[in-house]
Order: sequence, then C-alpha cells, then structure tokens
Amino acid sequence: MASVEISGLRKLYGDVVALSDINVSIPSGAFYTLLGPSGCGKTTLLRTIAGFHLQDAGTIEVDGIPIETLPAYRRDVGMVFQDYAIFPHLSVRDNVAFGLKQRKVKGSEIARRVADVLEVVQLGAFANRMPHELSGGQQQRVGLARAIVIEPKVLLMDEPLSNLDAKLRVDLRAELRRIQRDLGITTIYVTHDQEEALAMSDIVCVMFGGVIQQAATPLDIYMNPANRFVAAFVGANNFLGLEGARLVSGGASVPAPATATACAVRPEVLRAAAGSVPPADGEIAVAAKLREVSFIGREMEVFGTTDAGEPLKAVARPDPAIVALREGSPVTFTAPRADLLYFAEGETGARVT
Amino acid sequence: MSASLRRFRPDFWTIVTGLILAVLAVFLILPILRVLLLSFVDAKTGGITLSNYVEVFTRNYYLSGLRNTLYVAFFGTIGACLLGIPLAFFVSRFHIRGRSWVSTLAILVLVSPPFISAYAWIMMLGSNGFITNFLRSIGVATPTIYGAGGIILVFTLKFFPFVFLMTQTALNAVNKSFEDAAENLGCAPWERFFKVTMPLVFPAISTGAIICFVLSVADFGTPAILGHGFRTLSTIALSAYKSELGGAPTIAVTVSIIMMAISMLALVAQRRILARRRYASSLTNLPVKARLAGWRNVAMHLFCHGVVLVAMAPSLVVVYTSFLQTKGPVFTGGYGLESYRRILYDAPEAIANSFMFSISAVILITIFSSLISYVIVRRETVASGAIDFLLMVPYLVPGVVMAIGFVTTFRTGSFNLFGTAGLLILIYFIRRMPYGVRSTTSSLRQIKPSLEEAAINLGAPPLKAFLTVTIPLILPGLIVGSLMSFITAINELSSTIIIYDGGTITMPVKVYLAVLDGEFGLAAALSTVLLLLTGLCVYVVFRFADNRDSSFL
Repeated sequence: MASVEISGLRKLYGDVVALSDINVSIPSGAFYTLLGPSGCGKTTLLRTIAGFHLQDAGTIEVDGIPIETLPAYRRDVGMVFQDYAIFPHLSVRDNVAFGLKQRKVKGSEIARRVADVLEVVQLGAFANRMPHELSGGQQQRVGLARAIVIEPKVLLMDEPLSNLDAKLRVDLRAELRRIQRDLGITTIYVTHDQEEALAMSDIVCVMFGGVIQQAATPLDIYMNPANRFVAAFVGANNFLGLEGARLVSGGASVPAPATATACAVRPEVLRAAAGSVPPADGEIAVAAKLREVSFIGREMEVFGTTDAGEPLKAVARPDPAIVALREGSPVTFTAPRADLLYFAEGETGARVT
Repeated sequence: MSASLRRFRPDFWTIVTGLILAVLAVFLILPILRVLLLSFVDAKTGGITLSNYVEVFTRNYYLSGLRNTLYVAFFGTIGACLLGIPLAFFVSRFHIRGRSWVSTLAILVLVSPPFISAYAWIMMLGSNGFITNFLRSIGVATPTIYGAGGIILVFTLKFFPFVFLMTQTALNAVNKSFEDAAENLGCAPWERFFKVTMPLVFPAISTGAIICFVLSVADFGTPAILGHGFRTLSTIALSAYKSELGGAPTIAVTVSIIMMAISMLALVAQRRILARRRYASSLTNLPVKARLAGWRNVAMHLFCHGVVLVAMAPSLVVVYTSFLQTKGPVFTGGYGLESYRRILYDAPEAIANSFMFSISAVILITIFSSLISYVIVRRETVASGAIDFLLMVPYLVPGVVMAIGFVTTFRTGSFNLFGTAGLLILIYFIRRMPYGVRSTTSSLRQIKPSLEEAAINLGAPPLKAFLTVTIPLILPGLIVGSLMSFITAINELSSTIIIYDGGTITMPVKVYLAVLDGEFGLAAALSTVLLLLTGLCVYVVFRFADNRDSSFL
C-alpha cells in the first residue's frame, strides 16, 4: 500500500525522446493502467519505475520516498513480466520463494507465505511442479504469486495477459483484479488492449509518443476524451471534417466551435434510417450511401459513406428494414447534437467544446 | 546534478567490465604490441625499420608461401564445411543410430595433435604406407599424400568438427515454427533447408568456417610433415624463428604478422556479413527428429559414420601403433606394452604438468567466460563491444607469435614475473578463452533477459542474480565451453614449445620431441593416453548435456 508520485520524468534514447515530461500521481491502492499503441513509451515508463532503465531527468517517489536512484534490486516493487520470466530451473515453490529468500525471511515463514500465496492464485497443488509442466496461464499465475508474495509497495505488470488465449485472458483479468482489490496493492499495469484497460482500472492513462495524453477514470476516458488521439484510440469513433466552423457533411448544417477542425461521434450514438430523413430538434442528420450492413446477432453495424467520401459507422439494435437494404441505397445517420465532440487541428488536437 | 553525471552509476557489472578489460590489456594486447614492435626492429642495429617487411614482400620464397597458405586454408575450409554441415544436419534432424558415438568421435578428432595426424596419414597413404602398399599389390596407383592435396585432406578431416559442432548447436536451437511456417508457405523439404534453416544457422556455420580457416593458416605441423617442399607461411616462420634464435626473431615475427593479417581480414569479412543478423530464438517449439527409411537411411548412416571413422583413422593408427612391441625406437614386430612401460619412467612429469596447467587455465577460463559472455550479451556498451572484438584476437594470433610476445614481455633476462608454469597457464588461459566465451555467449543469448530482471526485481543484487539464475541456465553452454577449451589447452604445442623449460615439459611437447627422435612408440603411447582421457571426458559431458537439455525443456 503506497502512493506513487512521478514528476518531470524524461527518458531519451540517443536523440529519440522515449518519455517526455511524465507526471503521474497514483493514490494508494489504485489500479493504474498505462494504455497506448506499441512504441508509445508505456513499457519504458514501467521499466524505468522498476529500475531497469535510468531516467535522464525527473523523480519517482513511493510514499514520498524517492526511489529513482536506487538500483533495481533495492526498489521493492514487484513485477510481472509479459513472457512470465519463470525461472525454468526452479520448481514453482522455489520460484515463489526466491524473493523471500532474498529478503532473508525465516524458512518456516517462507513455507507458510508461499503456501498461502499459491492458494490465492489457485496453484496450491502445483508447488512441486517444474515450470515446463505448467500451461501459460498457470505460469503467469506463478509470476503473479512470485511478485505479490514479497508484499511489494507497488506491483508492476507488463502486458501480463498478452501471451494468453482470449478466454483465459478474460478469466485471468477478473482474477487479477480480485486479488489486487483483496490485497489493496497499488498496481501499475501496462497494456495495449483498451478493453482490458477499461475493465480493470481505477485510472487509465493513455500514452502516445512518449507523452501522457489523458489520465482519468475509464468512464471519463471514454465519455470525455481530452483530445482527438484519446477519442480515436479508446473505443471506435466517426470523425467528420468541418468547413469554416460548420459541420456540413451529408447536407447537415451545424455550427461548431471556432477553433475546431473535426467532429467526433461514437457509433453507438449514431442511428441509421432508410431514405432521407430531416433532423429532429436538437439533432443532426447526415445523408449517406449505404456501403454495408453487418448483422452480428445482438446488434448490427451499418457502414455508410457521405458524398464527400467520409466513412460512417453506426452500431444499433438490429432493424429488419435496414438489414434488407441494398448497397448504395440512400440512408441518413442521425445523432443528438449534445453527443458531438469537437477537436482542434492535429492527431492529438485538444478537445474544444 | 547534471543528467550526464547521474547517468554514470558504477555497479557490479561496470567493475567486472573494467577487470576484464585490464586482464585483456595485460595478457593479450601488451604481448601482441611487443611482437608488432619487434617486426619493425632492425635485427642488427636495433633501430626502427621497414626492411623486414620489404624483405618478406619482395622475395619469391615468402610470396609463394603466402599463395600456398591461402590455397590450402581456403580449400581445407571448404572441405570442412562440405563434411561438417551435412553431418550436423543429419545428426540434429534425423534419428541416427550411435549419435553420441558420432559426436564423441567428432570431438576426439579435435584431440589428436595435427602433426600426429599428418604422420599417421603418411603411415597410411605415404609412399611406403600400408594402404598404398595394399593398393599397389592389387594394381591401383594412389595419388601422392605429399604437397597441397595431402595438407588439404588433413585440414578437412581435422577441422570439420568445428563446423559440425557449431552448426549442430545452432540447428538444435532453431525454433521449429520457422520451418513449419516455411513448409506451410509451400517449401519442399530441401527448399526449406536452403531458404530457412541454412540462413538461420549461417552465423554458426560461418563462425565454424572462420575457425577452420584461421587454424589452417596458423597450423605448422601438417605442412611441415606433408609439405615436402610445399612451404606455407607457418613453416617459413618456424624455420626463420629457429635460425634467428639467440637474436631478435624479426623475420619470423614479420611473417607471423602477415599470417595474423590474413586471419584478421577473414574475420572482418565474416563480421560484416553477420552484422545485420541477430536472431533471438525462443525455445518454445523445438525441432523434432525424423526417421528416414530405406536406402536414404542407409546412405545417411554410411555418411555420418564414414566421415567420423575416416577422420578418426589417424588416431586409430596411433592407438594401434602404441601396442606394437618396441625396443628403444625400433619396432620389433608383434604386440606388447613396452611403449606404455616407457611412459612411466620417461614422461610422468609431462602428464602431471599437462593436467595441472590445463585444468588451472580452464578454471580461469570458466570463471572469465561466464562473466565475459554476460557483459557481451547483456550490456551493449562501447566496452562490451571492445571485449567482444578483443576475444577474436586469440584466434588470429598464431601460438608461436603469442609465445614470443609473452616471453619478451614477461620474461626478460633473469626477470620472470609469473614463473614458467605461470606463463604457460596464462598463455593457455588467454589463447583458449574464446572457445569458452563462444559457447557461453550463444547459450546466454537464448536466455531471456527478463529472467535476470525478475531475479533483480525480487531483490537479488546483480552478482546474486547472476549466480542463482544466469549460471544454472547457461550451465550446459559453460560445460561445453570449458570442455572445448580444456581439449585445446591440453593439446597446446606451438606456444609451449617456445616457453617450456626443463621442469615444465608437457605431453604434446614430449610427443613432438619423441616423433622428431623417431621414438614413435613412445609418442603413440602418450597420444593414446591423451586420447583416452579426453575421449572419456567428452563422452561423459555429452551424456550429461543430454540430460541437461531434457531437464530444462
């Protein structure tokens, strides 16, 4: 249980800026997720916290105590690795006991704590197995047990589920979160899987180009993205261009904020209707040609293209009238004006409202 | 504090790097610089001169030696690859009856000193050899064993195990998924081999080939015995050294510097080719061995066993000869143990010295090669790059040159810093260390860095993480590396012959002197003892390494 405070962290590889002015504040016991595409700096940040990289500037404090100059083996932060990193020459028990022995814990207590933690990760019966006798999911549980048994102040996880198959990933995700809550251990979690990030985290921190784009609750990240990158990366989004501060796509005519250059609307907000439909009060209506309707059971995905060639996607309850439409038929996409978000110029253009 | 100051944080590995560099500077660079300096010294006046090089590069005697050296080294290497690569492929990809037998024989081939091998070939295929005589009796004429052809034959059969062992190790580490993917994408088995498997193990093949080439360039025993007027740089250097004994060995050293330059160029070429290939292979999907049936199976077995048996033939001749009855240097007909009896009062000292020097050197090599391979693989600094490069140097420096460097640096007049025994241990250490480092380095490349990071993250300081995690995981490579360096150390002749004195004679020197004296019975018995001991140790480690493999996967 410890809070983490990172200020002004910078990391360069030669001339390449891997981390640029990182400021992070993590309350004690929080599940904090670093989310971003590959190369965004999330793993670099995690490994810098672990002490495997040395920062060029900035401080990392755990419970107010600076750790950024400590060697990695004295940082007391647990780490779970993407490739498990289970010692292949040691049994499950010895893997888990490794950190305790390092801390000169008494033998009897090691035995007790190892047994306890193996129960927590549901591997009680596997203590004497060698790693090669375990499945990937079991190996990662050993990795987790090994990291939490030392009761670290902070737990770091580097894409721990990315090497597992989809179903196991979802199961283990819930289990990880349960264990983390039970132990109340401050956790920093790296993933490129936004669903994982949204489902598990107290705070999601979206990174891009070595810069933190937004750090907020999962709901805030989704509902109130701070900039265009976050809006595009987390969840799906339709982007429509603006002309002279007006949204004119598909015959709509809606005033927009002066500095905005693009308008975003979530697919689940868009509704599709056959033919030409005038906008209702407080709504916009965008005329388009139907490109494809994809019926996937619980919902249907309607893809259209405006006259200007902008693609649109709506996700809605299946409507037989729409599913029956042929490619090229005229359709109208409508959405409440209140659900439109406006962004300034550029890939990471700020939100304008 | 500025960013650059904070960046420098000397840890355990920084200190280790410094120590390694210091050892290499004193025992490797210093003696070579000394030799390089000697090549620019005028033997008569003691002044600085280029005349040694002018002499060597203008006289046809030396230039034809240069041509001959390149010729036999090149074709010897080609021959070694033609035997070593298919053998490695068969042994690692197919079920071969007597696989460890084949591997053990291949390693044993490395054991016998080259001049014994050359002498044994003369006994078989020379103008009065027993095979020659037999073939002549049925009316078949054999081509001469003397000259370039014979030297190339000996090099091929002597050095192919390097290509074989290197390639086999690499083949065993190739992730089978790559080959499966190639097959899935439409490659027939032979296409898959040439388009995927070969390129993946090419770094290993080229390393093996470079070792063959360099050893062929440096070898003097084989051309000395089989040359019959066909002179290479090494025999020229040796006779120059002998004729210059007493004065400064300037011409011998100049010729040796040229030999080093040839090897250096070959190595630079190999490194350029490999510079852009780095394969981090995960061992998740190991190659499986297939079974061949019918005539293919028979042909494959014939090839594998045939190659190692023919390569073993010289050693077998030596063993056979050791049991021939002798009286003094004369074979008296019939069988007997007289040669072995003579070892007991002629050479006990040589046996004890050989083991003492080699084992001491191998202990040093094992410690240093594990540390060095960690620095090379895990730390990508200028210093680690320099160490990696410096470790190529011992391959390139002929033993005679290194020994002259050692003697002129550490033993001048009455000054003898380490004692003769110490000098021998240190020269074995520095010259044979690359074998250890090679092996541990390739072992370590297959260990994910995250394993050490996990240990460190769990609170193990760098040294502790290294000892508890890295060492157990690279143990197979460490054992193989130590073994390779032991084998090459205990058979060391070209340096020892310069350095040794009355109390520090070793087995190879004793064998060499015995051969020169025509005491072939004694030489054969000593060589047989050496062969048996080393062969036993090779076999045990192979069994051990097999168990290791299965226990880690």
